[in-house]
Amino acid sequence: MRSITLGHYLPGNSLLHRLDPRMKLIILMLLIAALFMVKTFLGFFLFGLFVLTVFIFSGLPWRYFLRGLRPILFIVVLTLSLHFLFTKGGEVYWRWGFITIEEAGVYLGAFMSLRLVLLVITTLLITLTTSPIAFADGIEYLLHPFRRVGVPGHEIAMMMTIALRFIPTLMEESDKIRKAQMARGADFETGNIFRRARNMVPLLVPLFVSAFRRADELAVAMEARCYRGGENRTKMKELQARSLDYYSLATASGLVAAIVMSGV
Amino acid sequence: MLIETKNLSHVYMPGTPFQVKALHEVNFVVEKGAFVGIIGETGSGKSTLVQHLNGLLKPTSGEVLVDRQNIWQEGMDLRRLRSRIALLFQYPEHQLFEETVYKDVAFGPRNLGLEGTALEERVRYGMELMGLDFETCKDRSPFNLSGGEKRRAALAGILAMQPETIVLDEPTAGMDPSGRKQLLKQIRKLHREEGMTVILVTHDMEEIVRSAEKLYVFSGGRIVLQGLPSEVFSSSRYLRELGLDVPPLADLLQSLREFGLELRTDIFDEQDAAQEIIKTCKKRGR
Repeated sequence: MRSITLGHYLPGNSLLHRLDPRMKLIILMLLIAALFMVKTFLGFFLFGLFVLTVFIFSGLPWRYFLRGLRPILFIVVLTLSLHFLFTKGGEVYWRWGFITIEEAGVYLGAFMSLRLVLLVITTLLITLTTSPIAFADGIEYLLHPFRRVGVPGHEIAMMMTIALRFIPTLMEESDKIRKAQMARGADFETGNIFRRARNMVPLLVPLFVSAFRRADELAVAMEARCYRGGENRTKMKELQARSLDYYSLATASGLVAAIVMSGV
Repeated sequence: MLIETKNLSHVYMPGTPFQVKALHEVNFVVEKGAFVGIIGETGSGKSTLVQHLNGLLKPTSGEVLVDRQNIWQEGMDLRRLRSRIALLFQYPEHQLFEETVYKDVAFGPRNLGLEGTALEERVRYGMELMGLDFETCKDRSPFNLSGGEKRRAALAGILAMQPETIVLDEPTAGMDPSGRKQLLKQIRKLHREEGMTVILVTHDMEEIVRSAEKLYVFSGGRIVLQGLPSEVFSSSRYLRELGLDVPPLADLLQSLREFGLELRTDIFDEQDAAQEIIKTCKKRGR
């Protein structure tokens, strides 16, 4: 359970870490849009070069980064095999009974997998270098214009912050309860799926009880400090875009424009 | 049973930037029937150590031996071991989950394969050892008990497995003084009357000094002091450097001795200490 590193923030002081979270979110959206407009492998290659450059600037340890990529391996394999087996057309590369692997399948499979991998790499680059708090702040700001149509930006951001804040706590808690029940002879590892599901009850009930208790305590603590969301709330750390942020935005926009115009 | 660790080290989350070395080469021995205290400030590795004793954590290096058998060797039944060395975590009331106290206490022994009257006997045994009345408590929901009762119900769930050794990780955390006293009395009774080996983890000196026969002091994942309580508390200055408290009584006797009174400092009971002070003063007065 401890191996979940996907999107786990790593503190640092690189260029990427210091970027304004709002800008990072906008850039991320731009890059994702660009990724979906790429039409050729050359385009992916150029995009990959760009991402690699950003990665070098981020100062993230590559080993840790690769571990974050591990969870998508399964999806990549699935994408590849589905395309290999079911997308038909072009030259036939391999045949075994009624199973054939054809040119279009290989092409599309590789294309989609590359897109997927680059998508996750790009997103990881942003989430690994942005603290959850900064992230929520950025989202709150970006949702601000939608307030008129009834989108509670501040509340959404607050909920996100709280949810993110409690992931490690609840993971620790579940680890502790699991061990406590194992000390009482509970068995979480053997048996078929139904048996295992039933064996989870001694873990899930205390976990829910404690999650509700924590939620209750948090609500009381917030009310005791007269918390009131949204309107007229000031921040300890105001977000301020600096020239670095504008340069980065310009670079990302340039990249998107180049991809669209050149049609790679 | 004899529990030992040999050069036990443990690293949390190895290979990530969050890697923490929690234990360094710890050699620790608990003999059958002993009452051992483990003290140390938060994060000193004491909880990590006790989770190794019944195989909940696997050593990064080193060995855990129970009756001279490495518990991680092939063919070792860890679930069986866990019923012999029962571990009670901090805030054990958080592990309660059943609809009734009876069912919750029965969880451990039922996992050992007990049923029917044998099971009921175990539940009764556990609850009565912890001072919970079987008839009035068995059908209540564990979530409706008072704080102290919840904790005793959780402890009863452990005792119902009839372990040879119980390991208690800060059993009195967050309790009021009278609840604390009562619980400690019951733990001492387990040691004295049921002959259980007790390993008590705490950072409260007061509660350990009256019970433990041997103390281990942890700091930064190492054992920095060990010995009889009187030996350990005689280095009060060092303990304070480690961020630990010295029992007020030991502190007082120590100070009096430093002022030149020739008295014993290995007394942990207020009345005895008062007598010792009066005796020494009278001797001096003569």
